Amino acid sequence: MTRATCPRLFEVEAARDGRLAGAELASFARHMSACPVCSREAQALDAPAAALRAGSAGKRDELYVRRERTRLLASFDQGLLVPQPAWGRRLLWLAPLAALAAGLLMLRRTPAPQPARSSSAVVRASSAALWSETTRDQLEQVRLERGSLWLHVDHASRPSRRLLVLLPDGELEDTGTTFSVSTEDGRTTRVEVQDGSVVLRVRGRLPVALGAGETWNPGPTPAASAAASPTPSAETPPTLRAAPPSPTAPAASSAEPLAPSVLPNPSDDFRAAMARLDSGDSLGAAAAFATFLAKHPRDPRAEDAAYLRVIALHRSGDDSSMKQAAQTYLSRYPTGFRRAEVAALSR
Amino acid sequence: MITRARSSPKTPDIGRATDPDIMKRLAAGETGALGELYDRYHESLRRFVTLATSDAEDVDDLVQATFLAAGKSAGRYDGRASCRPWLVGIAAQLVRRRRQSFKRWLAVLSSFSATRSTLVDPRSALQAGRDVGWALAQISEAKRVTYLMAEVEGLSCEEIAAALGVPIGTVWTRCHAARRELRRAMEEGSES
Repeated sequence: MTRATCPRLFEVEAARDGRLAGAELASFARHMSACPVCSREAQALDAPAAALRAGSAGKRDELYVRRERTRLLASFDQGLLVPQPAWGRRLLWLAPLAALAAGLLMLRRTPAPQPARSSSAVVRASSAALWSETTRDQLEQVRLERGSLWLHVDHASRPSRRLLVLLPDGELEDTGTTFSVSTEDGRTTRVEVQDGSVVLRVRGRLPVALGAGETWNPGPTPAASAAASPTPSAETPPTLRAAPPSPTAPAASSAEPLAPSVLPNPSDDFRAAMARLDSGDSLGAAAAFATFLAKHPRDPRAEDAAYLRVIALHRSGDDSSMKQAAQTYLSRYPTGFRRAEVAALSR
Repeated sequence: MITRARSSPKTPDIGRATDPDIMKRLAAGETGALGELYDRYHESLRRFVTLATSDAEDVDDLVQATFLAAGKSAGRYDGRASCRPWLVGIAAQLVRRRRQSFKRWLAVLSSFSATRSTLVDPRSALQAGRDVGWALAQISEAKRVTYLMAEVEGLSCEEIAAALGVPIGTVWTRCHAARRELRRAMEEGSES
């Protein structure tokens, strides 16, 4: 018994691949509606693809997906902060020229020339400042190599435009209006916010949100803090000082500084909460993170703790508390690193 | 039935940010935008990479690399309504680079070995005949990737040609050969 065939059978594939158009396609469509051989061929071509689409290839559970998502965002964020290697090499080649230029500048004692600018941000540079500015679409980038800058951004005139200050060891994202930033020897030495708020991301440290009236200093070096503390911490918390609380600033940045002798050790509390989470005691971990947040609202890990509290409650199955914790996170960290993830959980 | 079925996102588009909007934010360095892109397309990309590499160990890394590459080149996004074909194209390029890298390693390894090992599929022929995934793994990776992009992900042959950097005739040839070999593998599996 021979299989029934049709002289137009080859057109089934041609139509699928877009090789037929116009009158040819219309003609074949009419033919196929009446030809059982071509219809069967089309179904036979569809079947494997439909089975593959319906299959479970590559499916993962929710927790796995969330972990991968967090890994992706962390990698992306890290990529934003890591300086381009080519820049370093370029600087090396330009070092003699830069030294000569710096010498001439010192002899003349004139302010550093400022690049021609086309942005809405007002920038005032110190005489020793070395900086440049680029604008692409809605993103303005100010690169500060050394010295101090005072910036004022008029968000009212261009609300969609963002300003990013690239620092030798990190970056500063403007979400407010007026602030100043200083660098020295390849390190950020001071950030002061006069109005609005900024997010500071320094390599090796957790991001810090600064509100109006707050000042950031790098604080003691890791080596110094390790010598001073019997339980050295991986991160050195930045020091926030002279910070009159802003009515719009989040609660996490408005607590009064405590004397060092009465300060509880935040690292111990955080580690204890993490240990509970790792051991599977989700409810205990949620409570421990809540305690951490209450005791150390200004700790750089506060955002992590708020997020992990949501995760702990999610794991415990207490959905109403989890959603409440998620809302708290979102209201406290509206531009938080895990905002999208927590928003998805809160729904 | 004449044209191929296109995969579509599970959730409706009402009230959601459009893909071009997300790509604009991503180009501006907004990390959250990458999270949204991941939420939207990680499932279909993982499926594509899993099938394209026959469920290799490094599927997760390839998916991550795809999104990171998308983040880096978001500024060059052409503004089309859905960026799924674009993402699938990036993933296909990464799969191809991985294969080329593996080829070099295999060449080195084969120089140390005088005999060639024969891979034997442990599953029964009956099971294999029913398993489209198994049959798909029997065809070459270049054809498999092209077939998946066309038949499972629903990309047009023009889109595939642009993504893979090959002439459109090559795409048609690969699709035809892949369909024929896939069908043969499934028939042989079910007969034996």
